[in-house]
This record gives sequence, C-alpha cells and structure tokens, in this order.
Amino acid sequence: MSMKKAMSVLLTAALASSMLVGCGSSASTGTAAATSAAAAATSTAAATSAAAATSAAAAATSAAASGDVKELTWMFWDDLDTSTDLITQLYKKNIDRFNAENNGYHVTAITTSLDDYYTKLNALIAANQAPDMITLSPGTYMDVYQQSAEIQPLNSYLDANADWKNSFSSGMMDGSTYDGQIYGIPTNFAAACCYYNKDMFTKAGITEVPADWDTFVADCDKLKAAGFTPITCSESTAWCLSMIAGYCMNRNGVDYDKLNAGTAHWTDDNVLSGINDMVTLTKYFQDTALGDSNDQATANFYNEQAAILVQGSWAIAQMNGANSDIQSKCGVFSFPTKDGSAGDMIVKCDNISMMSTTKNPEGVIKFMQTFTDDTAQKATVEECGKLPVTNVQYDASKAPSQCQDITNILKNIKGSIGFYNEQVYNTEAGDLFDNTMVSVAMGDMTPEDGQKALEDWYTANAWK
Amino acid sequence: MKKNRRPIRPGEVVKYILFTLLALIYILPLVWVLNVSVKTNAQLFSDPFGLSAAPQWVNYYVAFFTAGLGVALKNSFIVCTVTLVVSMIVGAMAAFGIARLHWKASGPCLLYYMTGMMVPVHCVLIPLFVTFSKIGLVNNLFGLTLPYITFSLPITIFILNGFFQSMPHELLEAACIDGANIYDCFFRIALPLAKSGLFVTGLMTFIGNWNELLVAMVFISDPIKKTLPVSLTSFASPYATNYTQMFAAIVISVLPTIIVYCIFSDKIVSGLTAGAVKG
Amino acid sequence: MEKMLRSKKAILFFEAPALLLFTLILFVPIINDIWLSFCNYDAINPAVFCGVENFVAIFKDPVFVNAVKNTIFFMLFSLLTQQICGLLLAAILHNFKWGKNVYKNIIYLPNVLSSAALALLFCFLLKPKMGLNALLAMVGIKGPNWLMSVKGYLPLTLWVIGIVSLWIYVGSTMMLYMAGIAGIDQSLFEAAYIDGASRKQTFFRITLPLLKPMTKTTVSLTCIGSLKFFDLVYNMTQSGPNNKTQTIATWLYKQGFQFFKYGYASAMSVVLLILCLVTTLIVNVSINTKEFEG
Repeated sequence: MSMKKAMSVLLTAALASSMLVGCGSSASTGTAAATSAAAAATSTAAATSAAAATSAAAAATSAAASGDVKELTWMFWDDLDTSTDLITQLYKKNIDRFNAENNGYHVTAITTSLDDYYTKLNALIAANQAPDMITLSPGTYMDVYQQSAEIQPLNSYLDANADWKNSFSSGMMDGSTYDGQIYGIPTNFAAACCYYNKDMFTKAGITEVPADWDTFVADCDKLKAAGFTPITCSESTAWCLSMIAGYCMNRNGVDYDKLNAGTAHWTDDNVLSGINDMVTLTKYFQDTALGDSNDQATANFYNEQAAILVQGSWAIAQMNGANSDIQSKCGVFSFPTKDGSAGDMIVKCDNISMMSTTKNPEGVIKFMQTFTDDTAQKATVEECGKLPVTNVQYDASKAPSQCQDITNILKNIKGSIGFYNEQVYNTEAGDLFDNTMVSVAMGDMTPEDGQKALEDWYTANAWK
Repeated sequence: MKKNRRPIRPGEVVKYILFTLLALIYILPLVWVLNVSVKTNAQLFSDPFGLSAAPQWVNYYVAFFTAGLGVALKNSFIVCTVTLVVSMIVGAMAAFGIARLHWKASGPCLLYYMTGMMVPVHCVLIPLFVTFSKIGLVNNLFGLTLPYITFSLPITIFILNGFFQSMPHELLEAACIDGANIYDCFFRIALPLAKSGLFVTGLMTFIGNWNELLVAMVFISDPIKKTLPVSLTSFASPYATNYTQMFAAIVISVLPTIIVYCIFSDKIVSGLTAGAVKG
Repeated sequence: MEKMLRSKKAILFFEAPALLLFTLILFVPIINDIWLSFCNYDAINPAVFCGVENFVAIFKDPVFVNAVKNTIFFMLFSLLTQQICGLLLAAILHNFKWGKNVYKNIIYLPNVLSSAALALLFCFLLKPKMGLNALLAMVGIKGPNWLMSVKGYLPLTLWVIGIVSLWIYVGSTMMLYMAGIAGIDQSLFEAAYIDGASRKQTFFRITLPLLKPMTKTTVSLTCIGSLKFFDLVYNMTQSGPNNKTQTIATWLYKQGFQFFKYGYASAMSVVLLILCLVTTLIVNVSINTKEFEG
C-alpha cells in the first residue's frame, strides 16, 4: 500500500512539473516571435564556438580576439569526420585551412548523407535558412536551383579575378553554364573508365586493351573462356548500370540534348542499338550482378574475382585501400568506341554554388578559391585519385598509378559528357532511365518496351 | 525440486524445441551483426560468415569518437526521456478523459487524435520546419521534443484508452463513494492500475523516438546537437558505405535501448502479474 | 458520480494539454498539407493553386496505382500473419512454466531496434553472395534472387519484405495479446477447468472472446502501421527494381523530395490519409466491442 502511495505522489509531482513545462511551452509559442532573435543569436554563437573548437584552435582564438568574424555555412553530402572517401577528407583539410587563414570569415559545414541532402536543403530554403553555399553536380539538380534562382551567377566575381578565372582548365565550367552565366565552380572531377586486371588479361591471352567495341566483346569471350568473370557490375545500384548504359548509348550516337529538345526520339534505332549493346555486356557480368550492391561489385574487382570494372575514378582510393596488391595489377582503358575514335568520356564533377540569399558573397568566393587553389588541386590528384579542375602542375609519382593512366587517356578524348541519368530531362526522367535499364537488363522488359516507356514519359512530360 | 515431479508431456517438449528454433531465427542475424562489426570492409565482402582472425575493435573506437556517437547518445537520451515523461502524462490524461469521462464529443475527439497516427511524417515535415524556424525552435533539442511528444501522443492515447476502458467501473465508483474527486480517481487509482499499459506505451514511445531519423535530420544541423540516427547516416558516403564501422555504430546505438528494454520488461511482467483487475 | 464524470472543468483539465499540442503541431500542418495537394508546389517556389489536377494525375500514374496495390497487399499480409502468429505465440507462451520471459523478450527484441538498421541487415543477408543463399548453396540449392524478383502480380520480393516485417513486428502483437491474456480473470479459467473444459475449448470460448478489445487495438495498429510502410522498403529494395515494390509512402517521398513535386506528393498523402481513415472505420465497425464495456 505504501508503495502505491509513493507511486502516486511521484506521479503527481511528475505531472505538476510537466504542467509547468507544458505552460512554458505554450507560452514560448506565443512570445517566441519576440525571443526568437535572441535565441537564434545564442544558438549561432554556440555553434560557432563549438565548430571552431573542433576544427582549428588557432582560428578560434584569433576569431575570439578580433570578434568580427563573419559566419559562413556550406552544405555537403558526406560527413567530414567519419567519411573514408578521400575527397571528403581533403574538403575537411581545405575548410580547416580556410578557417585558419583568419581572413575575416569562418565556415561551418552542414553535412547530411546523399540520400537526405535535397530534403534538408529544400527545408532550409523553404524556411529562409538557406546556407551561403551548397554542393551540386551539374545536370538536373543544378537545373532546379538555377531555374528557381536559388543560386546566383558568378561571372562578375570571376571577371574581377582574372588569375583565378584563367587557372581553370578549358571546358571545366561548361556543365554549370546557363546562357553564358556560370552558376557553379568545379572543385574536382572524376572520369568513368574501365579498370582491368592485368594478370587476368595476360592469362586470357589478351595482349592489348580493347579500343573498339568488337574487340571488347571478343576479349570478354576470351576472359570467359579462360574461366574468369569478365565484368563486375551492380545492376541493383541503378547508377552503376546506367553508367554502362550511358556509354553504350553514346557509342551509338544517342544525344541527350536532342532527346530533351524533342529533335530525336527514344524510339530511334540508335537508342535500340545502345540498349542491345548494354544487354550484350550484361551477359558478361558476374552471376550475381542483379543482386550485388555497388560496394560488392567493386569488391569483386579488388578481391580479384572479376577482370573488368567500369567505375568512376573515385573508386581508385577505395580499391587501393582495400587491397594493396591491386595498384600494380590494375590498368585503365577508355570505354571502347564503334567508330575508331577516342570517344567521349563520362565525367562527374562536384561544384560549389553560391546561394542568392547569401549576405557574404566575398566570403563565399574566398571559400571557392581555397577549394581551387594549387594546394587543394594538387592534393586532389596526388592524395585522392580524382582529377584537378585547374592547370596545376602536380607530382605524378605521388599519385596512384591509375590516376596517371586516366590523365593520359583524358589527353586524347573527344569530349566529356555527364552521367546519363543526370543529363536527361529532369531527375524523374533520370530515375525512369535507371529503372528502365535495370528492367531491360534483368529481362523483365524487352528493349523495345523500354524505348516505349521512355518515349511515353517524354511525350507526356518533356515535349508538351 | 519436488514440485516438478509431474511428468513432462511430449507436447511440451515439442513446444520448447519449436520456440528455441524460433529464438535462434531471432538471435542469429544479430550475432551476424556483432561478427561483421569487427571486420574490415574487404573481409565483409570476401568472407561474410567467418570469424575474424584479427577483430577490428578499432571500428568501435572510430564509431564512438570520430562519428561523435558519445554526444549523440547524450542528445538522444535527453530528447527521448523528456518526450517519454511528457507524452505519457499528457497522453494518459487525454486517454482517461476519453475513456472515463462522459461527454458527447469523446468519440470524435479520439478519432481526431488518431488522425495523427495516419499521417506520414513526410507530409508535415516542411510546414512544421518552416513554422518552427520562424519561432526559433530549429537546431534546438527542446524544439525537437515538441514534434516527438505530439507524434507519440496518438498511439499513447490509443493504447491507454483501451486500458482505461477495460478498467472495472466499480473501482471508480467505490473511490467516489469514499469522497475522492475525479483528479484523485485518475492519479491515485486509474494511473497506478494502468501501469502495465504505461510501460508498454512508454517503451514504444521511447524506442520509436530513439530511432527517429527524418525529423531530427531536418531539424538539427549543428554537429553537437545531432541525435543517434542522424550520426549513423554519416557512414554512408555517396560512392561507398563504410559498412563495418556502421554496424559497430549500430551496435553501440542499440545497446541503450536493449538495456532500457530489459529494465522495462521486468516491470511489464510485474505489472501484469499484479494484475490490473485484481488490483 | 455521474456529475463528477460530466464536469466541464475536469474534461478541460484532462484534454487541454493534448488538444493544444496536437492541434498546433500536427493538425495545422495537416491542413497545410491538404491545401498543398491542390497546388503546384516544388518546395522552393511559391505554391500555385491548380485544382484537382494532382488527384487526376496520381490515378493516371501507373506507379502510384501499383503502389496502392502493394500497400494494400502489405496491410492484408501483415494483418493476417501478425494476428494469427501473434495470438498463437501469446497463447502458447502464456502457459510456459519456465523461460516464458526469455522467449518473449527475444521475440520482442527486433521491436526495440531501428527498423532502418534491421532493413539494412536483411538487405545484406538476402544478397546473393551472403546470408541465406550462401547457406542454401552449402546444401546444394541455388536460392532465388530474393530482393530482385519481379515476376507475377505479387512478386516474390513483396512476400520477402512482408515476411521480414512479420519477423520484426510480430513480437509487438504478441506482447499486446499477452498483456490481454494476463488481464483475464484467472478464476474464469479455473472455473472452466473444473467444468471439464479442454484447453482448446477454454481458448476458443473464453480467451478469444475476452481478447476482443485487444484484437481491435492490434488490428488497428497493424493496419495503420503497414499502410505507412516506409523504412523497410526504402532500405531493403529502394522500392526497386523499377518501382515494383513501391508503396504509397515511399513513392510520395520520392516524388516530393527527390523529384521536387511536393504538391503531387501531398495529393498522395491525402489519399493515404483517407485510406487510413476508411480502414479504421472498417475495423471499428467490424470488431464490435460495445458488449464488453463496463
């Protein structure tokens, strides 16, 4: 009985306190408008000090001393502290460097996973809490923010700083240029190539890497005959398959600009040849391609269970990190073409864009310059296995050997194209492209049905 | 020992064997998680089943310190405890009012509460975030507890309503004759009797919020205010996921819920055996 | 007594905190959501009213229609399996002499863990090179592609997700039923045994009818929970291949947050809300518990 009494007393007390909390909460809702400014001010102050403490102690003390450091926020789709991605680790170093410069600005990164990136970004924009700058890839996602004028053109800043503008390699900003207006500064780019296992090629009697399509298919047959899995690829991670599908389309002359404009059709013959070529390649995939994730497919290559991997250069660091033997065994060749030319290269480029709402454009430009200066760009290729966007001179011997191979290939390519799923009409069309390719690859859809699905969607949505 | 002299029937043996098999189906996947959490990523893909010759305990170290799991644990604990206490009391009151008080709108009112269970959180996410940012409640742990409390209310009210309804009418009547007012009835009689219901819903609330990602991810930007599920997402990079460290982090993050559950589960049992009806 | 139970002041005291929180934090955004379902809105630019355009469009969208089918499949599957298995487990476990709590806790365990993490775990275990298929390969069986099978009206992958959800959530149904069984007056059972009733008879004549209010609770929870199915599908199959395992919740998330069609997504959420309301209504009408109320 006494137990019960104690219990009830306790609950009553808890309730009383909760009522206070309840009153407090409803009161705060009412008067919050008045106090919000103060609350926001304290929370930013707390954020600033905490972030500074974790990043660069030197900057924190100097910032506290000078007292007029302006706060910048940058949004990125990978965690700066836990990521094993080398380019993310470089970004963290860049930020620490920027903050330590004591240039009157301090930057804090807002990070999410890639899955949640746009959810969070749109919520921040809707609530007028947009960051000062964001990370974007050229293509459908950048289109969205460019069309709604959430990001602003950078031409005036680039023109005012000719040295900076001229440091970029030619064509690097093509993807982020709309009617002559540049909406994003590239920080690095990755090229999608074919990595191959030299040992397996030798054992299968292949002396030279394939340059044209027919040799490529013949070599795959040789690899298969020698008992190897010719190609490893993930069909369940849609973009992996789409990368190969994109190459097959490109090698058959499919032009997404024409498709988007309506001057070419998905029902055209070259699309069909492209899809059929992709289906041909799927026959050389590992047995479990349909279920393997991207990580598993990449692991198949670095664990030497497959001869060829079609991947972006971001995979180099991951492969070398997982199996130190692979660097000496792994060569690189460009995806074969049908017309004997060097062909286009699929590239993926990280860009930083300035939000229209930023109050510190000068600080944003300084931040962009830190990411594209020689120190950062040299590290991009030497430490991270991605490719620089400026004409920086770097030490080839420091970079992974595969990077040098890719750089050599890039000297000869005809041009660069984006990921197909990011260059089609919009993100939804990209998703449809991905899905259609998966369905065709797994035999759930005929190539013709796939063409029809894409054509129907474009008729209903893009060519209105 | 003498008590158990009654011979064990074969039917019971079969039952125990079946349940032990069932338990294995439940435990083995979790053992697998423990095993892979001390591997390297390359080992995970080449040999997902074998025992690791050299356990990578460093995974746990990295998960805890680099990913800021320590701070996240603290934040999650604060948010979930506050949510738990407030939502239980507010929810129990509302459920009692609906189940026991006599008013015409009690039925529609319950339906009104239940709509909260039916709305996917994605739909209210952006309007809620816009409102909260206007009143300075984003990036703020207290701001996070408000939606959590509210989202926990429908299920709390729903389940407790059942408990209060099944409570014998005579108990309240007797108390009333003894001169108790309605508040006494609630705090002294109904609430203690609904103990097992409170534990069940409390557990659901606590664990639901402990694992909630979407609202926390949108509402919290500051690294030192992130909750556990938000920290867990940091292992997925765009092109490669650090699975083994993520599994290590998952193990760390579920330990508190398992501990809380163990404490609670005993209470549920004692609550049940004390019996709401026998009182 | 009656006067006390009708006191306006008491009603206000008990209901006000919940009503206030609920209205401000949930109901207002829901109204906002319903308004947006009649708008063209991309979450970045201002919303523009467009009438019922979104509702016409979603019913012409084959993926949405398929998602409705999948959602209803998950609801019916969960409902049947969880009710039967949950009740069975609870009834058997209740009579266990020892180890009752151990078994109960183990079966309930997945409910304490994050469903997203569990989905990831099963995603791994059902991959072709790992888990189940590797075990099947040891005895010479080539396992199917659990997460990438799309043949038929109700493809294998849907059943797989359904079974994983049963694995996770059956403990919760079982737990509620055990609470219900424990709440039944023991003297009723004793009286039945004295009258010579068999175990089967007491189960069907006493336990089952007296559990009716709990059945209503678990059925409602299962139905609404499975209609809002998100975590499992999103993390196990990413709704693929080719949207074949899409549910309403995952499709509206994709349309709203990945394709920036927030108004369109809101229209789907309104359909989902209506579906939930109708289901609740059906449950309430079909399981009549009036006779058991005091």
